Amino acid sequence: MNENRRQILDMLAAGKINADEAERLLSALEQNPSNATSEFTGKTSGGATVKTRAKYLRVLVEADESMTGMKGQTTVNVRVPMQLLRAGVRLASLIPAQAHQQLDQALSQHGVPLTLSQIKPENLEELIDHLEDLTVDVNGNEGNATKVRVFCE
Amino acid sequence: MTPNIAIVHISRPHHLGFHIWLPLFLLWIPLVLLSPLIFLIVLAVCIAGRVNVFCAIASFWELSCSLPGTHVHVRSEGKRVTVRIL
Repeated sequence: MNENRRQILDMLAAGKINADEAERLLSALEQNPSNATSEFTGKTSGGATVKTRAKYLRVLVEADESMTGMKGQTTVNVRVPMQLLRAGVRLASLIPAQAHQQLDQALSQHGVPLTLSQIKPENLEELIDHLEDLTVDVNGNEGNATKVRVFCE
Repeated sequence: MTPNIAIVHISRPHHLGFHIWLPLFLLWIPLVLLSPLIFLIVLAVCIAGRVNVFCAIASFWELSCSLPGTHVHVRSEGKRVTVRIL
């Protein structure tokens, strides 16, 4: 059962949509299964808000001179398609198992406590779903005008 | 959909910026011509790395097809660099 069908059934079980609306959503899904970003829009008659899937991951960085050492403010604005993240995670699954340990050690030495073997294609959608709800706002302290924003849109 | 065009815009303070339009779709020509050689190299690397060659090719293809929509903009010291992949 794919993620979209699961989401519809969860909403039906929670009472956010009725059976007719669930049937319409499932029919739309069957007609166009490849378009996972457009069928969940707007509100249902019960008032439940159906969430659209985020298409892009945005990273915004604004750093001032004290942070970068460069004259004037530095701005970085990156927009990456979510599909690229999915492809990147699948690419990580190609890394041989024996290399995982060495990579994990190297990452943790650089302050990134990430276990690559735990990132698998089957929990990829769950990872992306959590990423869709993520918004990180980092403001500099001590008068530092550095800002970092990470969010999905 | 594979990336078709990359647009690079570079500008500096007190200078006219310029756009570079890179026709990425033209890369298909050398790719097709060199495909046997590229496949042999990929096959050798995958065998050495104990990786399924078809999974590797599928992953790189998926990565390539998900590049359109990427937008990177960096501004520093009055200089601006923008890269868009369509």
